[in-house]
Amino acid sequence: MVKKDIDPSSVLLTPDYAEFIPAMERRRMSQVQKMSIACAMDCLHQSTIAQPDAIIVGTSMGCSINIKNFLDKILEANNGPLSPTSFIVSTHNTVAGQIALLMKNHGYNMTYTQNSLSFEQSLGDAMLCCAEGLKNVLVGGADEEEDSLYNMRERLKNDKVLLTSGASFFILSNIRRQGNAINLIDVGSFGLIKNTLETSLDFLKANNTTDLEIDMVLYAMSEKSKLNELTSFFGAERLFDYQEITGTYYTNSAFAMNYAVDILSNRPHPIFGEVKTVLVYNNLIPENLGLILLGTKNEQDEIAQ
Amino acid sequence: MKVFVTGIGVISAVGLNARENLHSLKSLRTGIHKSAQYKVMIGEVPLNNEQLLQINDLPDEDYSRTTLLALPAAKEAWGSNKNDSRIRTGLISSTSVGGMDRTEKYYFQSQVNKTSDNYSLMIHDNGRTTEKLAEELGISGHISTISTACSSGANSIMQGARLIEGNILDRVIAGGSEPLATFDIKGFNSLNIYDNEICKPFDEKRMGLNLGEGAAFVVLENEQSISITGNKPLCILCGWSNATDAFHQTASSPDGKGAYLAMKNALAKAGISPDNINYINAHGTGTGNNDLSESMALKNIFGDALPSFSSTKGFTGHTLAAAGAIEAVYCTLSLVSQATLPNLNFSNPMSETGMMPETQFRPAKIDYVLSNSFGFGGNCTCLIFYKY
Amino acid sequence: MTQDLKNELKRQIIEELNLEDMKPGDIKDDAPLFGDGLGLDSIDALELVVLMEKYHGVKITDEEVGKRVLASINTMAEFILEETSKTK
Repeated sequence: MVKKDIDPSSVLLTPDYAEFIPAMERRRMSQVQKMSIACAMDCLHQSTIAQPDAIIVGTSMGCSINIKNFLDKILEANNGPLSPTSFIVSTHNTVAGQIALLMKNHGYNMTYTQNSLSFEQSLGDAMLCCAEGLKNVLVGGADEEEDSLYNMRERLKNDKVLLTSGASFFILSNIRRQGNAINLIDVGSFGLIKNTLETSLDFLKANNTTDLEIDMVLYAMSEKSKLNELTSFFGAERLFDYQEITGTYYTNSAFAMNYAVDILSNRPHPIFGEVKTVLVYNNLIPENLGLILLGTKNEQDEIAQ
Repeated sequence: MKVFVTGIGVISAVGLNARENLHSLKSLRTGIHKSAQYKVMIGEVPLNNEQLLQINDLPDEDYSRTTLLALPAAKEAWGSNKNDSRIRTGLISSTSVGGMDRTEKYYFQSQVNKTSDNYSLMIHDNGRTTEKLAEELGISGHISTISTACSSGANSIMQGARLIEGNILDRVIAGGSEPLATFDIKGFNSLNIYDNEICKPFDEKRMGLNLGEGAAFVVLENEQSISITGNKPLCILCGWSNATDAFHQTASSPDGKGAYLAMKNALAKAGISPDNINYINAHGTGTGNNDLSESMALKNIFGDALPSFSSTKGFTGHTLAAAGAIEAVYCTLSLVSQATLPNLNFSNPMSETGMMPETQFRPAKIDYVLSNSFGFGGNCTCLIFYKY
Repeated sequence: MTQDLKNELKRQIIEELNLEDMKPGDIKDDAPLFGDGLGLDSIDALELVVLMEKYHGVKITDEEVGKRVLASINTMAEFILEETSKTK
């Protein structure tokens, strides 16, 4: 596959948020909240359930725009009266909390903020919820671009990376459904490790899968040497850099999972052909590895879209 | 599968370790005072960053205070535990502000001085402050950060228990850390939610909360891990649950629905009924809204048979993400000491409920302790501990 | 002049509370701001207290006073005029 750099003039594709969020609630929301709620509501409309049993969100930087707004307000107020709204909607769990508020959902509600592993940890928790007996779990990953507070490019050791925003949500269910059911086989989150490739092979082995059975590897990577290692092992024809589509935000592996589900659901793919097993290989931060294994075998956990 | 608490560590306004915290609880000694720096009543840890760097034996690098507070508490809990390939180990921390103490400093400097200073901004993100902690403890692999505002610390501990019960990990060090930052101090001020004196949880004349800072961690193990480490259990974590109030972004519902559901489900998880509970460590921030809402939920669960209850936030202040973890440590101390913990500054019960919290460190037969933590976004968590 | 003040309040409210879809003409002078009228909530109440101090130099320190003063554009304007005439 010929690698393409993302066009810097690319823009975030958004729906008309008014379709999903009433005006009085929408007015306080930053990008990450609006994106997430729209995705979550859309998931619910597509599924047949009235309410999820749990809502779990992974977000690395949370409501960065509101955080920055409040810092600006502090400077502007200069010890005078201070406007509270940005502060109130600045905590990282505002996204998951707002989804629950709009849905009037009283179930389990959790937010993970482990930079590039935030989505994988949310997904792992969602799988655990299903194993514990919850029937339907809404899970997603989202981040909004606001780099004046952070120095992501420093962490990724890449000055040229295009920082973007995005959100992807899913409903995970332990109930088999009709139609296109995709299997979430396993998810792994490994922090501060050195042998990323070896770790991924151990992960596959633990799931009774060999590297040969992986039809496609959707990857994100910052270090060239690690990319060479991955390419030598899996072969360039099985690899696809999802950042060509998403740009860079720490929870973009959630998009990769969405993309994988699309590919697995619509076989054969016009470009990728017959794909039955996909591995998402999130090595965005060099020392952190997120792995998501998806397939079309109908075993325990499935995703209903 | 039982989940044992085998290690505890805490740093707060009333002590630099568990022993000192316990001493303060016994002596009814608050750590809340008027801050010279911030001009409000807060519970500060009486060590500045330079001192924390020294006691942690760290080089003079730009660490976030979140990490600097977390380290002594985590090390105290971790004790003589070592890495062992036979024990699947994880670290789960939590924080609301993460590296905000550094970020706001550099952001304000850059805005006011118009200089662009990006150094150390990369340590803002919550996950990074946890990674720094993991590096110092020598833990890799399962490193996780939860951020659900004031229920975070309790959620980390609950998550640790679930991962052990789910046979994914054998040993977890879990907790939370929260430093004081201008962001939060100004933020809560803008909500008009402070008491200008020391807070009065559950009192008719309560005026609001005091912020605090601190960190706490517990080490959770299953039997398999204990058989290898030889660690002695302090108590058992036997019940947990998380539910959502879904009423308002910051205010709790009048009937405390989220709190009620969390307690009800935690009791069911523990396989006990309300009358088994001997002591409740309440969220009890001292605000008009929380204390009334929580009281309603307590009433709906316990009816007329309300056990001893108290809020310990009159000692520490409200330490946001760290609160649930500090209070989990306090619950362990209650079980080990076989005593109820005191609620400071109580004079008159709320006219709506007539409920009277425990005001003494009173020896009692304590088998089960229940701990509540509620956060912005209506996030409600309940943990139940059992005597070992 | 009082009407100017009321119009100014309406513009400030729309801007500070991010009521994007509204124009000053949409807010009646006597319409309830909270509950059934404009539908503002407790977070908006805090914002209005800040607005009153920041733009009009009047402080609302008591919750009961706040409920009365922030009921409508009319009551807000009345309070501003009352308070500013006291300081003259």
